[in-house]
Amino acid sequence: MVKPVPDVESFVYDYERNVLVRDGVHEVLNPEDATALAIALEIKKASPETVIETVTTAPRGVVPHLEDLVRRGVDRATLISDPWFVGSDTYVTSRILARAVEDIPHDVVFSGTHTTDGGTSHVPPQLAEASSIAQMSNILDIDIATLTKECATVDVDGEDAVLRFEIDLPAVLSFQYAPRRKLPYISYEDLNRDVGDRIRIVTNDDLGFDRAEVGLEGSLTQVARVEVKRLERKDTLFVRNDDAGIEAVYRFLMHKGFLPS
Amino acid sequence: MKRALVYLDPAAVTDSLDLVDVASRMYGPDGCAIYGLCVGASEEAGHGVVDHLIRVDDDRIARHDIVNITNCIEELQDEYRFDAILVPATTFGRMLAPRAAMRLHVGLVADVTAVRCREDRIELVRPAFSGRMLASIVNRGRVPVMMSVRQNVFTHEPRHTRETRIVDFVPQRVRNSGVRLVERQKKTEAIDIRGSDVLVAGGGGVLRHFGRLEALAEELHGMVAASRRVVDSGVAPRHIQVGQSGKTVSPRLYIALGISGSIQHVVGLKKAEYVISVNSNRHAPICSLSDIVVEGDAREFIERMVERIGRGGPVPPDSRDTIHNLRNDGGTA
Repeated sequence: MVKPVPDVESFVYDYERNVLVRDGVHEVLNPEDATALAIALEIKKASPETVIETVTTAPRGVVPHLEDLVRRGVDRATLISDPWFVGSDTYVTSRILARAVEDIPHDVVFSGTHTTDGGTSHVPPQLAEASSIAQMSNILDIDIATLTKECATVDVDGEDAVLRFEIDLPAVLSFQYAPRRKLPYISYEDLNRDVGDRIRIVTNDDLGFDRAEVGLEGSLTQVARVEVKRLERKDTLFVRNDDAGIEAVYRFLMHKGFLPS
Repeated sequence: MKRALVYLDPAAVTDSLDLVDVASRMYGPDGCAIYGLCVGASEEAGHGVVDHLIRVDDDRIARHDIVNITNCIEELQDEYRFDAILVPATTFGRMLAPRAAMRLHVGLVADVTAVRCREDRIELVRPAFSGRMLASIVNRGRVPVMMSVRQNVFTHEPRHTRETRIVDFVPQRVRNSGVRLVERQKKTEAIDIRGSDVLVAGGGGVLRHFGRLEALAEELHGMVAASRRVVDSGVAPRHIQVGQSGKTVSPRLYIALGISGSIQHVVGLKKAEYVISVNSNRHAPICSLSDIVVEGDAREFIERMVERIGRGGPVPPDSRDTIHNLRNDGGTA
């Protein structure tokens, strides 16, 4: 399960106008989804008979992203896209995904734990609930050597401990961002490979939801308003990293009681 | 009288009990009976804070068994008809709340940081776009109102002790969830940066010298914290990360070394009383939030500051004059 998201790192906050500048922001693959996909590709490398299919709900404009993933080693990509689905909350999105995933033969579903745009972390557990299977978030690692079609052993980043679980498959396994796990580069000869036949587009004609079940109408939550978080500017003292500056900081720390006077 | 169910995560019972404050904000301090749900352990902590403590002590249900805890919530909802279900946004709370909301066919708002009551409807506020924006979400009619609540944002200060009634709940719908805990390795660094008055935090600008932060933190009796960039690089552990995807902190003093102050980071600085930032770029966003900006190399600052504190003694009078002259001069002194 993968999703292209706006690159939030390139948002800039304009303190004078108190607005978020989003001009020219491009889309990237959600970083945790990239980790999940990189792990899937590692598994495929170890067991070449593995078939990887990505599933995405998004507007059709993301097709070039999906083609890019196929050129990196994904076997097939399914894009779920329908004008009726626009505005769906996570409850509805998960139901749509669950219905689409039913039609895709699979042993396990990989995903990121959260996305950088919505960031709710709802969809993986809700997809699992809609499919009546187990789910685990914040996975740090999966033991590829012992992975079978029936069971996976994973390490999970808990509140105060790292927990190792055995999870019966099928299940939804949601990974944490791991920068050392990178998607492979596209080989030179694949750069312009035509992969159109590997992309499948699924619409509501295939899934058969009623109008009232999906989109804004079917959603159980509604965004009342969105505002930019106000950040207050302070009356700032600027100093340099020289003796006078260090004294200024030292004095400040002493005055405020952080150092014994 | 409204009814609110609060899930008490065994890994974060105190934080879970802070959610009573959310129920009070929605329904008034005395407008709501609080039901605490406790699976497996730590039931003592809810005494005096909740009205009803629902204990599930069943060998078939482990504390990480999200599927069967969801079954419990479904059964309890059938029985008690809660108006609200509140779950702390802990590791497992964030898996439980979506699952339970799906089961009950109700909407869910994640990571709530504020509650507003407007004309009879409850708006739940949550950060979006990695904390760059705030979205106010309303539930469309159905009950219970469900949410996961960001940790360390609400604080419950009880006005009086509640008389807690214990309910031993025996769930009827238990099934094999297919998830088995085989090993638990306690994190050795069980420190919690949220409890520290002083945080010395490092970002991309001190990536290669992150180990030096400890010296300054030690001088100030504080703890070391990190930005996401440092954590993602593998230099610092995730549990000391400040920001939208890390922890929300409220220290008295926050020293930001080589941190640009992306909004995702700044939202984690809930109520830092004083901020000192050290940055080679005086236009970095964090500078606008700082009491003092030291323009320059963060590593050099650490060495000089540690040396200065170690030397101790009062500030020489002449440098006070210098400092006075520095204020608001545009940083050209």
